[in-house]
Amino acid sequence: MESFLSFKPQNDDCDFERIDRLQHRMEHRTPTICPERAEIITKSYQETEGEPIVIRRAKALDAILSQMTIYIEPDSLIVGNQASKNFAAPIFPEYSFNWVIDELDEFEHRRGDMFHITEDTKDRLRALQPYWQGITHEDEVLRNLPEINFKAEKQGVLHRGGISMSGDGHIIPNHDFVLEHGYGGFVKIAQEKLEKPDLTQEQRDFYEAAIIANNAALSYIKRFSKLAFEDAERETDPKRKQELEFIGKTFATFMEGGARNFYEAVECVYLTHTLMMIESNGHSFSFGRFDQYVWPYYQADIEAGKLTREKALEIITHFFIMTNSLNKIRPWGHTQYSCGYPLYSNLMVGGMRPDGTDGTNDLSYLCLEAMNQSRLPEPNLSVRFSKHTPHSLIKDAARLIRKGYGMPSMFCDEVVIPAMLTLEGVDESVARDYASMGCVETAIPGRWGHRATGMTYINFGKILEIILNNGCDPETGIQLFSVNGEEGTEVEYRDYDELWKEWCWALDFYMKLAVDCDKVCDRSLKYHDADAFASCTINYVLERGKTLKNGGSEYDYVSQSNIGMSVVGDSLAAVKKLVFEDKELTLDELRRAMHDNFEGPEGARIRKMCRNVPKFGNDDDYVDPIVADVYESYLALIPNYSTDRAGEGPIGCRYSMSTSNITSYVPNGFDVGATPDGRLAGKPLNEGCSPCLGADHNGPTAVINSVSKLPNKRMAGGQLLNMRFAPGSLAGEDNLEKFTNFIETMRYKNIFHNQFNVLDTETMRDAQKHPEDHMDLMVRVAGYCALFNTLMPETQDAIIERTELSL
Amino acid sequence: MADERPHADKQPHAPAGAPLLDAAYGHDPVGLVMNIQSYSTKDGPGIRSTVFMVGCNLRCLWCSNPESMYPGKKVMYHANLCHRCGACAQHARPAGSITVAEDGCTIDRGNIENLFELPDVCNFDAYELKGREMRASEVASKLLRDKAFYETSGGGVTFSGGECLMQADFVRAVAERLHAEGIQIALDTAGLWDYDRMRPVLDLADLVLYDIKAWDPEIHRRCTGQGNARILENARRLAADGHELIVRLVVVPGYNDERGDVERRLDFISSLGSAVRQVDVLKYHKLGLGKYRDLGLEYPIPDVPEPTDQDVQWILDYGRELGLTMTVSG
Repeated sequence: MESFLSFKPQNDDCDFERIDRLQHRMEHRTPTICPERAEIITKSYQETEGEPIVIRRAKALDAILSQMTIYIEPDSLIVGNQASKNFAAPIFPEYSFNWVIDELDEFEHRRGDMFHITEDTKDRLRALQPYWQGITHEDEVLRNLPEINFKAEKQGVLHRGGISMSGDGHIIPNHDFVLEHGYGGFVKIAQEKLEKPDLTQEQRDFYEAAIIANNAALSYIKRFSKLAFEDAERETDPKRKQELEFIGKTFATFMEGGARNFYEAVECVYLTHTLMMIESNGHSFSFGRFDQYVWPYYQADIEAGKLTREKALEIITHFFIMTNSLNKIRPWGHTQYSCGYPLYSNLMVGGMRPDGTDGTNDLSYLCLEAMNQSRLPEPNLSVRFSKHTPHSLIKDAARLIRKGYGMPSMFCDEVVIPAMLTLEGVDESVARDYASMGCVETAIPGRWGHRATGMTYINFGKILEIILNNGCDPETGIQLFSVNGEEGTEVEYRDYDELWKEWCWALDFYMKLAVDCDKVCDRSLKYHDADAFASCTINYVLERGKTLKNGGSEYDYVSQSNIGMSVVGDSLAAVKKLVFEDKELTLDELRRAMHDNFEGPEGARIRKMCRNVPKFGNDDDYVDPIVADVYESYLALIPNYSTDRAGEGPIGCRYSMSTSNITSYVPNGFDVGATPDGRLAGKPLNEGCSPCLGADHNGPTAVINSVSKLPNKRMAGGQLLNMRFAPGSLAGEDNLEKFTNFIETMRYKNIFHNQFNVLDTETMRDAQKHPEDHMDLMVRVAGYCALFNTLMPETQDAIIERTELSL
Repeated sequence: MADERPHADKQPHAPAGAPLLDAAYGHDPVGLVMNIQSYSTKDGPGIRSTVFMVGCNLRCLWCSNPESMYPGKKVMYHANLCHRCGACAQHARPAGSITVAEDGCTIDRGNIENLFELPDVCNFDAYELKGREMRASEVASKLLRDKAFYETSGGGVTFSGGECLMQADFVRAVAERLHAEGIQIALDTAGLWDYDRMRPVLDLADLVLYDIKAWDPEIHRRCTGQGNARILENARRLAADGHELIVRLVVVPGYNDERGDVERRLDFISSLGSAVRQVDVLKYHKLGLGKYRDLGLEYPIPDVPEPTDQDVQWILDYGRELGLTMTVSG
């Protein structure tokens, strides 16, 4: 059993040995591919051709839920499975399928995120391929994407996100609403709506689909009731037998109406999550403010003497462990951007209530303890804090961080709330209810539709390289514009101002293309992600009778994923200082050295000059404002763009800025040649708003001071900072208190978010050599955690190269 | 006092051509600073910044900061960064004062005339210049950037070294600026100075971290090159003047860990009364070894083992018997 944070059990209601068994099994889970969903949906789609898509998808969900294999995980109190086996990834052929078939033989040989697959599964999947030719979401996207976008992708500037070949995900249900009404309640609401006159065809279709989808969920639940009784009959352990009978009884009527107690509330949260991940295959389906919406059920049960804190801890821990039974497979090209089998299921505790008072409660602490006991990558646990947050909660968070699992990540209300308030139509009480969706993307639970961020990725580093080469990508030779009107890479800038103007122009040029890509994907997903079940969980959808993608949600804000602001800022500072101010180099000399990747004695001399220019992350007032300018250059463009849902109902329909860029800073770096900051070709860009790898030399406070100068209070899409500490520096009670104080200081330092790896280099190097000895080594990757062994080597290296800070 | 004699340091690495410190800057003096360590957690309460000043009047055999012990700036050579390109050897005067081999460069520090040019010559940062002249105002404004961290954690700024009070005017000038902003000040000192002359800067300190390295003057002299009469006397005076003290006892096996001597040290500390807030037992460690190598210095006591917590437990026990608050740190 893991040593406690601050929890002290008063009785035996929580079986910690059983938790260890479950945890161990989940830690050694085997990723496989499950063909069931693909087969069932193929058959269903064949049967429903010609019907409205929202109904076809609801019927498909119904077919899947009634035919798929179900099982109850041994030992677990939490029930519900996504595929036929623990950690098996279902296949979603309707989004994209050719890559699945193309990569079938590669899954087992991947450098990261490997999947086992049987020959039988391969055959069963191959048999489905003909039906899906030309009709998937990806096919539709590729048909509609303008030629110039393909070129920008070839250059390495734009990366079509997962959204171009999978469902959208990125949703935080209004759990208060789901818990109050249950799926049966949604059926009733939809039925009542259907009886209203003057419905449009779209509305009628939606309500019918909502009824089918929610009834499908109820039948799935009833299958578990039957199964639980069957399992109970065979069970020899009396305690487990009793539990299975309890599950059987509960599931006989579960979710026909609202949740009736704490256990049902937690089970409902898990099940809603799992069902959404059967319906569609996005990721970042998130839990929002778990300690807030489950609180009334917990409080009532505790007061009635029906529940103890210990039992509650057991249930929450089982829930946490079971979220790791779900899985998703992505094409290798996307996997590089998101290593470690991430689902980004964020779960948030702490922070202000909508009325501004502190929302910290018992459950906030129990969730931290549950994560301490479960020690697995999901859910992606986050803690909100403000000046009202008890020191003891932050200290428990620090205790957990110190153990080195990379969780929780910390969000500062005093920065995030003002950032949310920059969004049109969001008032203070709404902003105060924010939660993280996925990694660090902030959203308002139950009010946002799909997708806070991570639509099209923009490689800022590549744009800089291109403007330093006259608009031409030196790698591919592709030139979409010319700075001086000539073809080719030769270019001169008279002064820094001219270079800066070119940067702003080029950024807008590529942003336009990125927004076009977003729109192409979004329009295709209106059809392919017409998901009645997930849609019902969001405010206004049942009112309007529209799916999320058609504009059903209360608000609509999205962001792209911007990568490499620190590299660009550091590089612009180097050019400004060396070329335009000190005139130690000509731009041409610098460009030649970069072209040669700083090789040879002359290259080394120039690289040294480049490296000696101040770097972001050291609290330096020369370079930090330049990095801030890079953020401003993108923020200035945002008001010019809207989403495809503008005018369809939701408030906003605008873009926000986010640095949530998962592991893309590694593969984006592959595409960028040497940069003026002295970075060598192919090396990673910077992660989120963190300094460039190894560029910060002045300790953690200097990093914080540098980041504090960025426009964090306008980063409504989320601002990611990742720091790494040496384990020894956090050892002992005294250091724990200081680290807690360090976190608390973020409030005064304009820090949106911070997450920590507490690992030494030796441990990670050893894990690269002897993975078998480090099965449980969990690291913070970007906005999420993953087991170190599952990452590809380049991503492992990037984490190791991050400066190890000592307190 | 008889035991204060001028240093007769032989400095084979004497910084020929190193810029000399000019202290005549009036109210904004210049100090020679080795490093400003932000987020320092071992030099007093809370989150602190520690300013390491260059130069010391003791020559402790176990010193882990040799770059701050000897006066002047230093050039370190890091073999792990060296590309063996030979640019330094080519540039070195007189010719032959640097030789390049497979395992790195050998520098004849006794003869080389232009050592301080090498950090600029090397393209791979294998040569590093250590120590920087900074104005008091510059240091103060740098330290103030972490004010929020000090305030949240009950921390502040610690001056250390070397012996920080060898540049007392500078330390005072920085400390005055910090005090004006409400920042807590700690001095980390070994106590070998003239009390009356230090009074103005001592008065600015909210806390003094005070090293007592041996009780017996002969042990002290053998280990540090100096006797300790004045050090002990200054400790008494600090306590009498109401200064809050954290006393630090470094324990080096075979050098200053003789039971009787350690017990006398603790008896003495106990006699200082309530001024002593805490006693930190500092276990000897070899973390400074690489720095000696990079400075071209010989490590004086290579064969001494690092003590374990168990090895120093009796010291904690004895101190606690006396009613002292004892801690261990490495």
